[in-house]
Amino acid sequence: MTLSGRDAYRDELTALAAEDASLLCLEADLGGKNHPFQIAHPGRFFNVGIAEGAMVDMAAGLAAGGYKPFVSTFAPFAALRAAESLKLTLGYLNAGVTVVAPYAGVSGAWFGTTHHCLEDLAVLRSVPGVTIAAPYGEAEMRAVIRSAARSGRPHYIRTGRNATYESLDWTGAQPPLVNWEFEADPDDICLVSVGEEGTRLALEARATTEVSHAHLVYLDHEHLAEAATELARRHTRFVVVEEHRSQGGVAEALALLLPRCEVTAVGAGQEWPSTGGDHQEVMTALGLDLPAVLAGVARARHGLPAAATAAGHAHACVR
Amino acid sequence: MTAVLDGPTGTEALAATLAERALEARRLVVDMAASERGCHLGGSLSVLDILVAALHRSSAADGTEVVLSKGHAAAGLYAALYVSGMLPENPAPLYGRAGRPYTGHPGPKVPGVRFPTGSLGHGVPYAAGWALARRIGGQGGLGIAVAGDGELQEGLVWETCQVAAAQELGNFVLVVDRNGGQNDGLVADISPLPGLTERFAAFGFEVAETDGHDPAALAELFAGDRSAARRPLAVVAHTVKGKGVPAVEGKAGSHYVTIDATRAAKWKRAIR
Repeated sequence: MTLSGRDAYRDELTALAAEDASLLCLEADLGGKNHPFQIAHPGRFFNVGIAEGAMVDMAAGLAAGGYKPFVSTFAPFAALRAAESLKLTLGYLNAGVTVVAPYAGVSGAWFGTTHHCLEDLAVLRSVPGVTIAAPYGEAEMRAVIRSAARSGRPHYIRTGRNATYESLDWTGAQPPLVNWEFEADPDDICLVSVGEEGTRLALEARATTEVSHAHLVYLDHEHLAEAATELARRHTRFVVVEEHRSQGGVAEALALLLPRCEVTAVGAGQEWPSTGGDHQEVMTALGLDLPAVLAGVARARHGLPAAATAAGHAHACVR
Repeated sequence: MTAVLDGPTGTEALAATLAERALEARRLVVDMAASERGCHLGGSLSVLDILVAALHRSSAADGTEVVLSKGHAAAGLYAALYVSGMLPENPAPLYGRAGRPYTGHPGPKVPGVRFPTGSLGHGVPYAAGWALARRIGGQGGLGIAVAGDGELQEGLVWETCQVAAAQELGNFVLVVDRNGGQNDGLVADISPLPGLTERFAAFGFEVAETDGHDPAALAELFAGDRSAARRPLAVVAHTVKGKGVPAVEGKAGSHYVTIDATRAAKWKRAIR
């Protein structure tokens, strides 16, 4: 049985820490009981309590002291409440600290607006030097955690809540820069998927439309610049699916990186998700569902401008 | 632990050395106030004796790290590092200049500075994280954060105090430069801090109050071997804004000062 992103993180880090005594695990009261790292390595596990900014800054001190801290709290609290600490610790200090941020996007679902995070990529992508990853599936999360632990460089890793996803295939030790999950007519559009739900929706849309699908795992500027070069070698029209606001998201970045291509964004717009429901129901309320992706594909195929969805939310069309 | 207190003679000799360093540093700070940029003069002068004494502890290379959390007092830090032998060049003529690392708030490009501070509050958890790293590794040394009393208005300070107490970080020391001033005026007028020692005690800290301009008392506080301590230490150091320069001593208006060379020369002659 496959693990959710955050369970895969906990499991992988716990295993890595058996071989690497410099790995530490810090939580801010949201790691849950019976954390496997705490059980296996109690002397290197710290639940600092509800203190996100202090946790990230203390991780800077721990990194300066020779350790590789992995800190975790919900994405809205990591990326927004502790944003200045991330800027200084991950960015300016370039400290070997990894932030693992579950509850990204609207995976907090019925917990409400305070627990949603549709802005974290915009915040982190603007901080130079931070490796940003949004793994899809257990294997990809494990690979990203291994890479972060080996590198000792600053990472921000976003994931969802408890949902599980079947990993995509790839060869080699690490997921490729661009995972060409399905390749079709290069003259047709190409779906570009980001994160867990963006990839799930892209896979569903690809099965319906038979267009190409390229999956990205690393989303910082340096990785996206390389990915954009590879994307442009095979296609000229892209539909980017991401569980993030279009402002500051990956579609916007690719549009700047691919000025001679057409990039259509299917993501969250300006709305504040404020109603209950499960994860997918909240996404639907935002206008981020399979019909929206298919509409995006149709618009991109026929060169149409952005259209209002049935839910009344105009999707950004970055062209 | 440094060999700070080996008898009355040693104590007096050390106090004299630290006092002389602080006087020299005060002259450098006035030079920086006379630069094109000016500097946060009042807070740099109030914190100098604390920094000089804390850096003396860290110069023993036992793993003690000093973090100036009130980063606006950068001029004081640069001067203290120089007179303590931890900065190889005189920062005063280079302060604020293009291509030089001596910015208005300190960063890790300055020798002897490990963390960027200036957005207030962050230096406290940096030092606490350093202390935790030393403890995990079974190593000695302290994590010393030097904060301003105005800075205590930042929630991050108290967030960290909560964590430090819960983690029983006995090798973490938080020194408060209690000069009573902040950017817009007096702490007492803007957001007072009544019962400060009681607050730290309530957080689970050991608390000491001291004259923040008494080198012997400061050196003694920093000299302790805290490797077995279970409670972090808060030092409320009572200081005078603008200390040592009679023209600005005790004046809230000394917070940020730009002066000309003539006045700087006069002020330096009057330093005490």
